[in-house]
Amino acid sequence: MKHPNQVRLALLAGGDLGFLDRWRVSRHVSGCSACAGEIQALKTAKNQVREITAVLPENLNWNQLAGEMTANIRLGLAAGEAIARFDKPALGRSRHLGWNAAMVMVCATAIFVVAFWINTPRAQMDHLLSALGRVRVGRIGTLVQNPAANPDVMLEASSSSLDLNQNGRTLSLMHPHSDAVTVSVSMQGSVGVRYVDADTGQVTTNKVYDAEQ
Amino acid sequence: MRSNNLRALLPVLFLGTAFAGVLPKIDLPKDSPVSVIASDYGESSETARGGAMLLDLHAALTLRNSSQRRIRGITLLVTAQEVTPGGKGSVTVTSLDVAPFETFPLHIDLRLLRPLQAAAGAPVQIGLDGVLFDDLSFYGPDKLSSRHTLTLSEWEARRDRKYFKSLVAEGGQERLRREILESMTHSLDRPSLDVQMVRGGRATNFEPEKQVQFAFLRLPDSPIDPMGGMARIAGNEARGPRLEVKNRSDRPIRYIEIGWILEDHGGRQFLAGSVPAELNLAPGQKSQILENATLKFPTRGGTPLAIEGMTGFVSSVEFADGTLWIPSRADLGTPQLQRVMAPSDEEQRLIQIYRKKGLPALIAELNKF
Repeated sequence: MKHPNQVRLALLAGGDLGFLDRWRVSRHVSGCSACAGEIQALKTAKNQVREITAVLPENLNWNQLAGEMTANIRLGLAAGEAIARFDKPALGRSRHLGWNAAMVMVCATAIFVVAFWINTPRAQMDHLLSALGRVRVGRIGTLVQNPAANPDVMLEASSSSLDLNQNGRTLSLMHPHSDAVTVSVSMQGSVGVRYVDADTGQVTTNKVYDAEQ
Repeated sequence: MRSNNLRALLPVLFLGTAFAGVLPKIDLPKDSPVSVIASDYGESSETARGGAMLLDLHAALTLRNSSQRRIRGITLLVTAQEVTPGGKGSVTVTSLDVAPFETFPLHIDLRLLRPLQAAAGAPVQIGLDGVLFDDLSFYGPDKLSSRHTLTLSEWEARRDRKYFKSLVAEGGQERLRREILESMTHSLDRPSLDVQMVRGGRATNFEPEKQVQFAFLRLPDSPIDPMGGMARIAGNEARGPRLEVKNRSDRPIRYIEIGWILEDHGGRQFLAGSVPAELNLAPGQKSQILENATLKFPTRGGTPLAIEGMTGFVSSVEFADGTLWIPSRADLGTPQLQRVMAPSDEEQRLIQIYRKKGLPALIAELNKF
């Protein structure tokens, strides 16, 4: 008769043997007094160890133990972070690259603005700034722009009439031929003629405008 | 308002349906201080010319002052959207003295060239832009800055009437007669030129463009100090004036106008126009005025105009509290301004009275105020 080895007997005594092995070894132990004695000895030793570990050692310093555990935990976390950083070196490098790209863009924009400022004639620059100045934000999301001049519209004051011409269409305000006719021009977009109405004696001023004032 | 419009359109019934569609639509606000009590379109006509229709409109309106105050000036707005989208005209009558419930005439003579296939309906709309009363109060939507225009005219009228009265007080009727005759002579000597204006356009002249600095005529009491300025000149074109001004008064300023005198190669000077600017200028503060407009002085026979120099002067200032500064009669008496400045509306009206009715009528008119 072949006896199970010491390891299998120890596993059976601790209840850690698999189902089939446990059935086989148990069947042998039930008929073998030597192996049953071995099993009994192992169980007795197990119970003795459990009893010994259940009693705390004398003079145990719990605070010192807690401090050591906390230090060990922190050491573990720091080591984990170091390993993670070591595993992902590209992240730090890309952040650095982003700042460099931003600096390059800022420098390029500055060079463009300076070059544009130097090369644009003063008068055109003034008119550009003036045009930008006429654009204002009325409220969030709404852009309000002053009425723009229409270069298709020509205003003309002659000795007989005041004309507003646009693409061949004309609106004329007529005035009498007279020595006392006075022409006035406003650079904001109007031309006028003042005269004294011969019938009524009233001082009358006709004006034409190229856009909403 | 409706009854006014109906009255104004009554003549349509007599002119027949063929011409009825082209009569203007007169639209006054409900609470308007003036009402239309009659309208006559007697000599108006509409004729086809090529692919276009030519409308000649001669409107003689009779308006009534339906307010409790005396009217000093009025501006009517004339629009013809189908002809000039965005463009418009105005007819302003100043130096009025219309008592409550009195009537006064107002003539509008306009010509409209429009496509044959233009939409049916009234091609011209006439509305009210503003009325100025004797207490300088104002009524109206003021889309065309009529409040400023009418108030400025009234300030000039008061200045000139005061001046002419002082002449009578100092030197009698003969002194007034001399002044009026001098004014008439200056009017005849004053150069008058046709002018074209385009805003936002480019120079059309082939001649090389040059930048010319402004010289300034400094008026002693002016609240604005012109610091410098320039414009681009090419032959008979002047464009893009740029000026720098400083508020030397102790009050904030909201509107200024700089008169612009041009000089040709023969030394002849004429008033080209004005450069107005709406701004918010605190005492001691400087500001730039920029305009992107081109003035052209076309030659109708004779020697082409060649602009050589420019002079600027402050022609009016409006303070933030609504009061105005205008040049005094002494300022206007300087030789350079006397050569180019036209008489005020009121002076022109008084000259007309002198021409038609003589000195006694002029003095009687002055004594009304």
